[in-house]
Amino acid sequence: MASPTSSPVAVNSPTPYQAPAEKPSAPPVNILASPIARTYSYVHPIVLLTLGVFRFEAVVSNPVEELLSDLPWLALLQIEEKKKAAPRSPSGPTVTLRPGKPGLRRKQSAGKHDWAGVWAKLMPAFMSLALTTLLATPVLAALLVLFGAPLTTHNAETLLCGAHMALLSATGLVYTHGVDSAVWKEVWGISRPADAVWGAALGTGLGAWFGAIPIPLDWDRPWQAFPITILAGAYIGSAVGSLISRTPFLYGKRIQFAPEEADEDEKKTN
Amino acid sequence: MASTPKKGLAGKAALPNASKQTSRGDPSKPPGVQDEKAEELEAEFKTKHLGVMGVLFWILLIHLAGIYFFTKGFLLTRMVLENKSSCQFLPFDDASAQEIAPANKQEGGCWHQKSFDKAVVIVIDALRYDFTVPFAPKDESESAHLFHDNIPVLYEVAIKNPANAFLLPFIADAPTATLQRLKGLTTGTLPTFVDAGSNFAGTAIDEDNLVAQLHSAGKTLVHLGDDTWQALFPGYFDANLTHPYDSFNVWDLHTVDNGVNEHLFPLLRPENKSKWDVIFGHYLGVDHAGHRYGPNHAAMAGKLQEMDRVIRDIIAALDDDTLLVVMGDHGMDIKGDHGGESDDEVEAALWMYSKRAAFGRTSRETLQPPKHAKERPIPQIDLVPTLALMLGIPIPFNNLGSPIEEAFAGPSGNDWGNLATVGRLTAAQIKRYQDAYAISRGAGDDEESANLWSAAEAEWKTGSKAFASKSTAVRSSYELYRKYQRHTLDVCRGLWTRFDVPSMIQGVVLLVGGIALLVLYARGMKNDRTELTSQLLSFAGVGSGLGAASGSILALFGFTEMSTLDLSILLAAAGSMAGALIAMVKKPASLTLPLPNGMWGWLAVLFTVSQSVGYASNSYTIWEDEIMLFFLTTFGVCAGISSMRQKTPTDRVLGVYHSLLFVIIGRLASFSRLCREEQMPFCRSTYYASSTSSISAPWQLGIPFLVTLILPGVIRGFYAGSKSYEGAATLWIGFAFRLGLLITSLFWMLEGADDGEWLPLSKETLKSVRVFLAQLVLALAFAAGTGAYLYSKPCISISVNKPQDDPNAPPAPFIAGQEQKPRTTVTILGFGNVYGTRFFFLVVNFALAIILLQKPMGQGAIALLVWQILSLLEILDTNNLTLTSSSIGPIVLGLLGSFYFFKTGHQATPSSIQWETAFIPLSTIKYPWTPLVVILNTFGAQILAALAVPLTVLWKRPLQTHDRVSTSPAAKLANPATKLLSDVVQAVCTHTLYLATINLATTMWAGHLRRHLMLYRIFSPRFMMGAVVLAVVDVVLMLFAVGGVRWSTLSVGEIFGW
Repeated sequence: MASPTSSPVAVNSPTPYQAPAEKPSAPPVNILASPIARTYSYVHPIVLLTLGVFRFEAVVSNPVEELLSDLPWLALLQIEEKKKAAPRSPSGPTVTLRPGKPGLRRKQSAGKHDWAGVWAKLMPAFMSLALTTLLATPVLAALLVLFGAPLTTHNAETLLCGAHMALLSATGLVYTHGVDSAVWKEVWGISRPADAVWGAALGTGLGAWFGAIPIPLDWDRPWQAFPITILAGAYIGSAVGSLISRTPFLYGKRIQFAPEEADEDEKKTN
Repeated sequence: MASTPKKGLAGKAALPNASKQTSRGDPSKPPGVQDEKAEELEAEFKTKHLGVMGVLFWILLIHLAGIYFFTKGFLLTRMVLENKSSCQFLPFDDASAQEIAPANKQEGGCWHQKSFDKAVVIVIDALRYDFTVPFAPKDESESAHLFHDNIPVLYEVAIKNPANAFLLPFIADAPTATLQRLKGLTTGTLPTFVDAGSNFAGTAIDEDNLVAQLHSAGKTLVHLGDDTWQALFPGYFDANLTHPYDSFNVWDLHTVDNGVNEHLFPLLRPENKSKWDVIFGHYLGVDHAGHRYGPNHAAMAGKLQEMDRVIRDIIAALDDDTLLVVMGDHGMDIKGDHGGESDDEVEAALWMYSKRAAFGRTSRETLQPPKHAKERPIPQIDLVPTLALMLGIPIPFNNLGSPIEEAFAGPSGNDWGNLATVGRLTAAQIKRYQDAYAISRGAGDDEESANLWSAAEAEWKTGSKAFASKSTAVRSSYELYRKYQRHTLDVCRGLWTRFDVPSMIQGVVLLVGGIALLVLYARGMKNDRTELTSQLLSFAGVGSGLGAASGSILALFGFTEMSTLDLSILLAAAGSMAGALIAMVKKPASLTLPLPNGMWGWLAVLFTVSQSVGYASNSYTIWEDEIMLFFLTTFGVCAGISSMRQKTPTDRVLGVYHSLLFVIIGRLASFSRLCREEQMPFCRSTYYASSTSSISAPWQLGIPFLVTLILPGVIRGFYAGSKSYEGAATLWIGFAFRLGLLITSLFWMLEGADDGEWLPLSKETLKSVRVFLAQLVLALAFAAGTGAYLYSKPCISISVNKPQDDPNAPPAPFIAGQEQKPRTTVTILGFGNVYGTRFFFLVVNFALAIILLQKPMGQGAIALLVWQILSLLEILDTNNLTLTSSSIGPIVLGLLGSFYFFKTGHQATPSSIQWETAFIPLSTIKYPWTPLVVILNTFGAQILAALAVPLTVLWKRPLQTHDRVSTSPAAKLANPATKLLSDVVQAVCTHTLYLATINLATTMWAGHLRRHLMLYRIFSPRFMMGAVVLAVVDVVLMLFAVGGVRWSTLSVGEIFGW
């Protein structure tokens, strides 16, 4: 597609606030600069939300069936978006993206479909889907159970909810970062600098968290059933997260966790 | 395991966390000076410790005052009028009506022709309506439970001879406690909430009531059974024939019932008939079977069948002139408990029977008893005018009930004249009562009731002229009177839910002020809190003195309507808070903005505030247990994330491991559930054998053994992490604790054997063996445990190395930066966690006692709680949250306490209190032990969590003594022990802050939603629970948590100096 330029915003932002002891990890990811990629990256969250609204009734009436049949489409959409708009990790799991140079090796334009190009495009897609299915989905489903989702019933719902959340969050991360251990360490520590991919992932989690809130209310609405609100929250969160975290206001910033570490000495005498 | 370097320690000296090498003998200072300094510091610590306890006591008093004022205004009160109805005067206003000659009326009845001379009133405690009617499945899949179709006599007789008997649903007014019900059933008034707590020590009824009227009519009254009657009606019953029985021993199904039978049937024999006029027999077996086993149990079926036989026998022995009344005073919920306002708890049954045809139905449709309790229900107070008029005595003055139609309609069901007469009498008495109440209360008249009354009177006048009992005027006058009665009842229900809003606001203001001060004291102080103590206490003392004085002066000179005492308390509390505020803000330099800093601080605020907001919704209150799990998992996930950010790999690995453990244990514990009624059908109870039972399933009896096997090992593992499984710990945790748990397991095994009748031993033998075992465990936990806690040494082991044994010893062991010549090297194991492990013994002691007092499922939950607390402490340590006095630790302990409250088979409803646990270590009720045992059972989780609060700053706290610290440039404090104390107080106050906020929130929501439909089901019980928890935890924190710090610190100081 396009050459790996970074937006003007990206120049000053990705300075980590906490001095990391380890080697620097990948900087925040920029949406590819081509107009198509830019447009598509804005359209994509909106498409996701629109489809969510469109299929909402069907999910309410038959969650398992509908969520299952949506799954391939969601996967396709997510991969397409990443292919079009996001820089991707190199093909092999062992090779990591070189820091500071997002999308360095992607020189070929969208038109050239030579073998290497196809492979380079397919491999991250394949890998991100495989990891999403095999790792992210079970982990997220387990997390749902730990948060209180039923263990003995509703297994299909939990698993599908996990799968949808994984597609919303993990697919993009794996696609762009591969299995770069420095990046994933930051992911586990929620200390990635904000960018569209990370914003979507974090938004998915936060949205799902907030999505659990209406469940106990006694409104007797069919959509209050598990996991509909959680998924709705996850979809909204991922869309909002991916949109707002690329704004100059947030881009490149990291979530500060414990400022106590900094002012520990002045606050406490020992 | 030297693989857990501690930041604090590692910074100072390159020594492994777990062991510390030091050397004795400091040549620079003479030992005498050292000792003197140490003694000084020790004395200072002891003084400040006492002062701190004083501050906590003051906080407790502020909370109590706030709760008192709110409760005073919130719990409904009704004025008790002591007027009595009299036989000589009819209740009508006009003089003409009073001309009925009293003399001849006495023969046939006072106000109305009596229909029976004698009566046998049988109360079958907790006789729910659906027990008495044939099982009618709501849908095809529903099959009959064990409690169905076991007492068919009532229904059968009512169907076969409708003129001889009728059966109706008999709706109790909440609270459905026996004492409250007996008051309602004899006075005809509505209960108010204030009396709800006095079920244990009933007080005599001052108001006019059936028993007093019968007594003054010269009848001989006999009471058999539940001794609550004796407390309510002292001196009314014939002393020779009356036989009361202890009502509280709910594990005893038969003593009361057998006693009633033994004395009832001889009285029914013809030769004894002249000895009595009215017998009140109160059976408790059904209620106790419900409490102990739940309704769906063979014991309940057996008990109901026994009651069936008893009633058949009574019928057989009855003569024509005696009325037989059988009723339940309340129902029972799905688990067999009662006290609340749910349908199952209020739907009792009423059955009246007579050998001669006395009862009628005014319509063909009402000939059959209702199929379920929703059909044609009558309020329980209707019994009062009915019984009074049938037995020819005046209707008690305060009655609000209506005559039951079936009892006055005549055998053919068309005696409208009689119905209108009794309706008019009852309505007139209600009107008289309302007028008297309005006068003494200064309230105005209700227009609608006045209209209803005059309309009814007008119809009555037309009807009485017609002299035809079937005339429509008579009928419509009866209906109007009835309408008037029901309308007044509704008005009174509204009236007596009148709240004293100013008092409620006073309470809320005090609570808010208390929280504001706590925020300042716990989170807004930079300096050592203990230095503030003396000023704080003296200012608060002066303030409260001034407040009390001005309060009494104001009240004495009549500036206010409040009583002197109340005003003094109010102003004293306010004054002390003002004084304390001045003391705290006097030095602004020592204050900091009490805003949370960092993610942890905000998370703590988020948990507290969102939970408080949630109590506004009945749904979030109902689902509190699930929400607690959600919050705890959120904390665990955040802890895992934070652990991933730690710099050292060990902190990362340990942190993530314990975060995972924390989350998984929490989820595991969440499988122990006791659902409240409102959670149905989305909840499945697992706490007992089944949802309709209150005994443990046989497999659950394995849980105590599992706990015995695993828990001591788990604690050992956490101790071993810092090489602290040394000294007293081996004996205490490895032996005494394990032994206690084993005895507990045996206790519950015997309990199961008793329930299931597995052993060929008599119940008495089993009971006495059990009580002995339980007392043994409690003695181990509290007597031996406390003694050991006071005197034991820290969990360290000291080994002495001679230098020649160790030529390659580290060149220069450090002690506070000084280089020494090692004459003798002393290796101390367990050095890294010397405060934490020593203090944790207290938690172990209480854990043992609390585990004994839980049902087997709850024992597993408490064991998981201990595990989760330890895991939390490790998380706090690896994330550097102990030394920074982060608020998250105490707050998460608060969440854990609330969460495990639900996991030990409790809910925020009065009926979930496990009263029967009072009989674990005792065979009879003994004050003050019985309430203490119930408190330990109910709030065990919160108590244990509160005890662990000091650990949030003590766990793996590096040892500090003045000589060690004084050389370090960062330290400015002379006495590290008071710094430790200050940290402990901060943690304790943060924990209190959480509970006080919850209490304030539930209080304010209950006050705000006082007209909400769910007030008595949801908001009011939650408010009461919040208040009790706050008071209990305040006391525990003050006496045991902070109190315990004294001994653990002294014991560390004794070994390591000050």
